[in-house]
This record gives sequence, structure tokens and C-alpha cells, in this order.
Amino acid sequence: MIKISPDELKAIALYIRDISGIYLDQSKSYLFETRLSSVAEGAGCSSYRELHQKAKQDPSKKLEREIIDAITTNETLFFRDKGPFELLQHKILPELIDARTPKSPMLKTNLKIWSAASSTGQELYSIAIVIKELIRDLSKYNISLLGTDISDNAIAQASYGKYNKFEIERGLERAVLQKYFTLFGDSWKIKDEIRAMVKFRKFNLMQPLSSLGKFDIIFCRNVAIYFTLQDRTKLFNKIADSLVDDGYLIIGSTESLTGVCPRFIPKRHLRSIFYQKS
Amino acid sequence: MESLSILVVDDDPVMRRLLHQRLKTENYTVTVAEDGHKAAQLLKQHRFDVVLTDLVMPGDMGGIEVLELTKELSPTTEVVLITAHSSVDSAVAAMKKGAADYLEKPINFDELLLRIEKIANVKTILRNAHDIEEAMDVTEHRAAETIQTLEIEIIKLRNTVSAVELILRDTSRDEDTRVTESLNIIEQS
Repeated sequence: MIKISPDELKAIALYIRDISGIYLDQSKSYLFETRLSSVAEGAGCSSYRELHQKAKQDPSKKLEREIIDAITTNETLFFRDKGPFELLQHKILPELIDARTPKSPMLKTNLKIWSAASSTGQELYSIAIVIKELIRDLSKYNISLLGTDISDNAIAQASYGKYNKFEIERGLERAVLQKYFTLFGDSWKIKDEIRAMVKFRKFNLMQPLSSLGKFDIIFCRNVAIYFTLQDRTKLFNKIADSLVDDGYLIIGSTESLTGVCPRFIPKRHLRSIFYQKS
Repeated sequence: MESLSILVVDDDPVMRRLLHQRLKTENYTVTVAEDGHKAAQLLKQHRFDVVLTDLVMPGDMGGIEVLELTKELSPTTEVVLITAHSSVDSAVAAMKKGAADYLEKPINFDELLLRIEKIANVKTILRNAHDIEEAMDVTEHRAAETIQTLEIEIIKLRNTVSAVELILRDTSRDEDTRVTESLNIIEQS
């Protein structure tokens, strides 16, 4: 494993923040070493300074993508903390469907939902499963489910929808697993009916969000925690612009927008918190 | 589940090609070396997830030496040895030196793929565990910051309430003045 020097640590931490928004604490040199050592070796670099130079100069951005893949944490679970999904099922979706259903029975109900850091897809598939369980006849609906993530690897795995038993056993009930997944060797693959409901696409949250359009519901859980306070404020301001006026924002259960973005006000339903524009 | 990179080391060209083709069809990234020295050269340049090496090879770099070098350069790379039945004892000795597994010749490819899939699973679990550890760390840190911010907010609000209460209870002044003053304090907070 290649060791990192304090100077390299400083430079590469800033570089990673620039390309991904993720700000890694410089006290965690081991994290840089364990995550980036193999990227450096794979690129034939003997130091992190060399890796940094090479990545900056690479016009194909291949090395930049590899660094992002190595540094992002792809840890997510199906239905990770149940709160948001219960909120979606019992409060948000029924309210939005009431508000959005057109008077004419000929017209469809439009809903746009975004999982802003979809990682390997579990959150968005969980949302799709909730929708499928709640709305039996989807033919009267136009529901768009978009998942975005900065990591190519995460997007590839999310699109494939295949999870090994260790990735799937926590969080998913047996009945749900058997209903919506097919056993595939030692792994489970999401069924086509759910897969067809969602779209995944690579996206960097540091970029402007306007190209994505406006959403009725945005999930942005446990990703801003890796950003600096300044970048968190920027992100949630952009999210406020991307959310329709009566839309819903759900953030991680240990996160708060107090002191981050005053444009959102927290609201409570049972034990869960969601945010709406003030 | 990412594709593993595998280094195949075998002096037998037929075996090398067979292993290369079979592992490639399973979507692994495969590199081959015809002897221990070539393997050593590759190991110094690249990091592999798995090294699959013949135990007995001509020259001074056999499977054991490849194993030792791999573990020295990259402790997280797993080594699987291919042995003849007669050399099972040395394969067991190699396991003690850190080899993940060994396979007896003639190679059963289904068995080989199962062993490699097991290694891939363990690597996924390890990576997930590291990710969870890191996420917990950051979450705890941010949650602590949030709690501090909220505590400060509460203190500010409490101070506002006390100030307003003081004014409102002061019956010596007329009501309109007290209400205006209270509203000012609330607006400023």
C-alpha cells in the first residue's frame, strides 16, 4: 500500500471535494490509503502526487471516475430505516395523489420522484415497491422514478438490479423478496415489472440541477453529510428550486436543515420528519 | 458486485489459455503470466484481487514464492494454488502462509468458479463493512454537530421567551407598548 504524505493528503482531499463534493476529513489518512492505493497502482503511479497530476491531466476523465468510484461509499439497504417509506405510503403518496388526480378520468396522474444519491439502487427500488403495493392499477398514472449517483460502478449495479445475499438479507422481508425478486444463482435479481418503473443516470450533485426538471418528491438521504456546510447549503438551495411548491423533501433521519437551508420547514408525521418549502 | 481482476500464473500454455478463456467468459478481468518471474513483474505494476498460480513451476520462482511476493506487495490480494494430487501437503503448508484456497488437478472449472465467487463475496462484505463503518463515523459526527446547532437554537428561543414574558408581565406600562416591544423582540430573534 502506498503511503500518503501530509501535503498529498491536503491536495487530494481538495481535489476530491472539487470533483465530487465529498469532503473527507484529513485526519483519516488511512481512508485515502485503503481506497486510493489500488487506483494509484492500477494507473502505474508510485505516489498520490503522481495520481493527482495524472487524473487532472487525463482528458478522458477515466482516472477521475475511478477515484470517485473508490472514494464514494455505496452502502445502502433496502427500506433502510422504515420511517421514510411508511411516510411515503401513508402520508405523502395519498396526499399527492389527491392533489394531482385530474378531474377528467381520461387524463393520467403525473408524479415525479427523485432519489438524489441512489447508490446501488436499493432506495429507488424500495420506493417503486411501495408504489406498486399502494397503487394496484398503474395504467392511470405517469410515474417517473429517477435515481442518480456520481459513481459509475453504483449506477451500473443499480441498473443491473442484482444483489448478493449479503446485500439483500438485511432490510427486506421474505415475502417482499419473493414477490419482487428472482433467485439468480447465489444472488437475487429485481423483477422486470419493478425494474421497468425506474431509471438510473449518472449525475454529480455539485452541478446545476435544472436539467433534471421539477420533482414532487425528492429523497436526499445521507449524502450531504459528506459535504462541507457551505456545499450543503448550496445543494439544498438547488433542491428547493427543483421541488414543486407543494412537494416533499426527505433527508436522512440523523440530518437536519437547521442552519443549512431556511427555505425548508420541517413537518412531522407520526415519528418521521419531512420538509416542505416555506 | 464488481468484476474481479485475476492474475493466472501457469507454465503450461494449454492450461493458461483454458483458464484465461473460462474466467473471461465469467466477466472477470484476466491477466496471464507464463512463469514466476513474469508474475513478479506484473505484481509490482498492478494490483490484482486474486492470483491463481500453479504450485510447481520450473525455475527459482514457484507457486510458494509467488504467494509470498503477492502477500508482501498487497496483503488483501487472495492467492489460490493449483496443485497435483501428490503435492497436497505443500498446498496445506501454503495455506498456512496465507493462501486462500487450493485446487487439485485436473481442475474442475465449476469448482474453481465457485471458489472465486466465494472470494468475491467476502470482498464485497469487507467493502460493505468498511462503507458502513465510514458512514457511521460521518453520521455520528454530523449528528453531533446538528444537536449542538439545535441546542443553541433552543437557548436563543428560550431567551426570547423570557424577555417577552418579562415585558408582558410588567403591568406598570400600557398594553400597546408592551405588545409592540414584544413583537420587536420576536422579529429580531
